[in-house]
Amino acid sequence: MELATQLIAYGILMGLVFALIALGLSLIFGVMNIVNFAHGEFMMVGMYVAFIISSYFHLDPLISLPFAAAIGYLLGVVSYHFLIHHILRGPMVAQLFGTFGLMLFLRYLAMFIFTPDVRSIKQGILVGKTLSIGWLTIDVSKGVSGGLCLLSFALVYWIIHRTKLGRALRATSIDAEAARYMGIDTKKMNALAWGIGGATVALAGALLAHYYYITPTIGMLFTIIAFATVALGGFGSIVGAFLAGLMIGLIMVLSGQYVSELKFTFIYILYFLVVVFRPRGLFGW
Amino acid sequence: MRQVLKDIFSFEDRPRFERIGFVVFILIILVFPWMVHSAYGRVVMIKFLLFALFGLGWNLIGGYGGQVDLGQAKNVGFGAYATALMMFWWNTPFWVTVPIGMIVAAAESFGVAYPMFRLKGHYFAIATLCVALVWKELFVFWDWTGGARGVELTIRPTPDFTYMQFGSPIYYHYFIFLLFITQLLFMNWFRKSKLGYELQAVRDNEDAAASLGINVYRTKVITYTITGGLGAVGGSFMTVYYLYIDPDFVMPLDLSILIAMTVMVGGAGSLWGPIIGAAILIPLDMYLGAWLGAGKRLGIDFMVYAVIMMVIAAREPRGIWGIIERLRKKG
Repeated sequence: MELATQLIAYGILMGLVFALIALGLSLIFGVMNIVNFAHGEFMMVGMYVAFIISSYFHLDPLISLPFAAAIGYLLGVVSYHFLIHHILRGPMVAQLFGTFGLMLFLRYLAMFIFTPDVRSIKQGILVGKTLSIGWLTIDVSKGVSGGLCLLSFALVYWIIHRTKLGRALRATSIDAEAARYMGIDTKKMNALAWGIGGATVALAGALLAHYYYITPTIGMLFTIIAFATVALGGFGSIVGAFLAGLMIGLIMVLSGQYVSELKFTFIYILYFLVVVFRPRGLFGW
Repeated sequence: MRQVLKDIFSFEDRPRFERIGFVVFILIILVFPWMVHSAYGRVVMIKFLLFALFGLGWNLIGGYGGQVDLGQAKNVGFGAYATALMMFWWNTPFWVTVPIGMIVAAAESFGVAYPMFRLKGHYFAIATLCVALVWKELFVFWDWTGGARGVELTIRPTPDFTYMQFGSPIYYHYFIFLLFITQLLFMNWFRKSKLGYELQAVRDNEDAAASLGINVYRTKVITYTITGGLGAVGGSFMTVYYLYIDPDFVMPLDLSILIAMTVMVGGAGSLWGPIIGAAILIPLDMYLGAWLGAGKRLGIDFMVYAVIMMVIAAREPRGIWGIIERLRKKG
């Protein structure tokens, strides 16, 4: 019973991180119908930002959060202007390979700068501490990461659903042409979607770096997890991404406990089954 | 029968400069081992032919079919493991293991194609990727296949045509060349076959193809099955050439990407595209890797790849063959 509660708690905390990672992918897909293969690599960049702040500047990795978000935002906007904008009109194959190229570029750039070594963050206010509530023992880093991810998710949700900017973004996502007639600068909206996507996923990366190992090749795994999450929640649906993130977190932690070698296999199979048998996702309409 | 033979061996419908180029290319490959004595050069050549072979196979579904498959490495893995495991456990001759590997890969492809072609575009691409990753993880997990350590074959001292093991790379050069030519001739037949035309119609416009009475779903499934079988041949070759395989070597995601990329760069959906792509990317990889990648800082070669890939995606999605075609139409 204790173990089960513990696992569920970890699953939910992990799921909150996945939800934030999937948010950007879902947003980008919703606004311009393009899938970003480099999404996990944006997250990897966030992780390395935290790593640099922690081991080169000897500051607390928590300080890296705003930097990670800012760099992620910039990365998203720059990628949009220099690459995505040019491949949007092309055939789907070109779109796929364009973002795939971006993924490879970031991955091997990281490998060039940081070498393929596996790193982790060893110092920080949150790192390595645990907190006991009753018989539940939680790593502080996981708890705080989960909480901050929830907060960021809520913030983005608020921006999209309660502000004028968010309304313009949603209008672009529903019908880009009509939005253009209404005077919305859709190119700017696309760039904004990429910026928000990059910022949120890099932030998630910086938080995840507090307790997860860091390598240049880690992105692919999280890209696929994010795809699975978004597919499960329904492409383009933000609330769906949130609920699906929690589910994926639970599945991964629970399966990791019992068959640890195959814990990612379940995610891949889940993606496959969902897109084949229920392409709208569990919460799609 | 005569028509079939003509379809296989005739390149008459191609313009003259292509035919001349092709003959020159064949001659270069035939004399290559006698002209180039550098061991590294020969290794690069064999790897080029191997990836041209992979590219030709992938071009079927990815080029002529227009379906982006990012899981071809699983078929390579099936071929490689079929040969390696059967030789390792039962000492089966190479020539028996190749068709079995092809059948296994084709059967698996057929099995997954059935649900998978309900998907299109991005969904399909990611699904192929997931399937390939699942297989790789299962091979790592499974003891009988050697797990993550892989399979190592014993080296036979004398040249042996039953097990296709030779000390000298010259044998391998001509062997892979033979496989390559066979597959090229198959592709030459395929592009003129009924299935080939149907497939191209499906790629260009699914709805129009369906309205002409083409069974879109069936066409895709059959093509995907054939592609699977073709991928396994190169895998079997890898086993006897390297004599050591493990899941990270024969079925990683990078291999799937590289195969798809050679075709994309060269020109998807054209007969020569995969060859051109492999001729550019493989030497680039080998020499750039040897020149810059010495030591711990890997990855420059892949960064160059990535830039090529992005530029091609943004500027000329039809690849280098597209550029050649455009220049020719102008001139």
